[in-house]
Amino acid sequence: MRIVNPSFGLSATTAEKVALKPVNWATDAIALVSNSKPNARELLAGIRDKLGATRMIDNIDFLSKNSASQPAPADVIEKVAANYRGALLAIAD
Amino acid sequence: MKDISEQEVIDIGDMDVEAFNDFATEQGWGDGMPLFVPTEAKVAKFVETVRGDNRPIPPVPPRQVVPTLQSMAANAVMAGCKPEYFPVVTAALRAVLDPEYNLHGSLATTHSCAPVVMVSGPIRKQLNINCGSNCFGQGWQANATIGRALGLMLLNIAGAKPGEMDRSTQGNPAKFTFCFGENEEENPWTPYHVQRGFAPTDSVVTVMSGEGPHNLNDHGSTTGDGLLTTFAGSMATPGANTVYGKGPMLVIIGPEHAQTLKRDGYSIDSIRQELFKRSRIHISRISKENQDTYTSTGHMPDGDWFTIGRNPDDIHITVAGGPGKHSAFIPSFGGTSVSCVRIAG
Amino acid sequence: MIATETFKPLVLAQAKARKVEPRLIVVKHPIGGLNADELRERIEAATRGLTEATSK
Repeated sequence: MRIVNPSFGLSATTAEKVALKPVNWATDAIALVSNSKPNARELLAGIRDKLGATRMIDNIDFLSKNSASQPAPADVIEKVAANYRGALLAIAD
Repeated sequence: MKDISEQEVIDIGDMDVEAFNDFATEQGWGDGMPLFVPTEAKVAKFVETVRGDNRPIPPVPPRQVVPTLQSMAANAVMAGCKPEYFPVVTAALRAVLDPEYNLHGSLATTHSCAPVVMVSGPIRKQLNINCGSNCFGQGWQANATIGRALGLMLLNIAGAKPGEMDRSTQGNPAKFTFCFGENEEENPWTPYHVQRGFAPTDSVVTVMSGEGPHNLNDHGSTTGDGLLTTFAGSMATPGANTVYGKGPMLVIIGPEHAQTLKRDGYSIDSIRQELFKRSRIHISRISKENQDTYTSTGHMPDGDWFTIGRNPDDIHITVAGGPGKHSAFIPSFGGTSVSCVRIAG
Repeated sequence: MIATETFKPLVLAQAKARKVEPRLIVVKHPIGGLNADELRERIEAATRGLTEATSK
């Protein structure tokens, strides 16, 4: 008996690798991006404070989604890509 | 040889229905209830009903795959649909793919939301979709299986596997199925799809990522004003996502409540205005920590009150159900929309 | 990316769909609902994870 696969679909994602520039986590500008769930920002703030013991933190900035339930807006993603070499995302529950 | 997941058609040899169900469970294709076998012949009958509807289907998140009409139809067959339901099922999938609906977020969230499917227009009668007594409940093949087919597509095509991509803390029985028809015949105002700009003769599917229906019981009030007091008091729930997610909600008014409101001069718009005003939640009913969370993400109170949506337009109103003094409030996931798609044909 | 152990399968499933390999720091679940004392342990663990991941 031949059946149709109910999960069949053509992948819309290309397997192309994005070329990443190397990040120097000891000096480069870093974005701390919260998903806007409770404690996500507090978690990132705690990490930022701890990093202060070993590096300058004036160029470590907080960014966040507008709402925990919605995707990050394009302007936030563009801002991260344009201004920071590294990003740390907190996906709090 | 290709992996099963990469094959559109699979030869499963000789299997009876029970063996097929065991096989489907192993593949992760089911919702826990028995499935019909999506044979090539059955699927072809379903696909035939949407020939001519050549609008492309965009990639379905979170899995980001583009389904074929065959794979979509396989889910409708498995759900127990009749072939003539398939145009409604495909319209429902198109509706949840509206970017404003936020399918990715609504499937991956810990919230209990499931797609609420409402059907409007002449097709309700053609397919015998229940719009009257017990319209949210059991007993009608079209209601039961159209909602179920969408749920199976979200599992199998979108990849919303419970515990993996679907992270709902408790889920919701509506994840099995939640489909009903508008009771346009007993709606003293304008049918919902006409409110949204469609012609009365159009058949339309409306979807919202919502909770199950919260009952609004009011046997005592004899005025529209009294009914709105009950409705608004019941809608003012601090635990609803919409309090801080600021999204849409449905108020499905039972026909008898609708008659009382109409008699007292209320329109859809004035009901919306009154409910928005009266359903605000006093800050004393919201914990300090939650207030801080809301305000830190831009959801500010209006004086000492949090509103349950962004504005009165977040309250979407129509009529469904049969005799009795009950209506229903269905809050949404929050970051979602009430999306409508005309059913082809 | 920092995620709790409970949500690791979600992150991996979504990454697979997008054909990306996230650099993941996994901490104990939950994050939400913790008070400042309880959250301190998560901050320590996440900072440790970040230091390890970025020193490779």
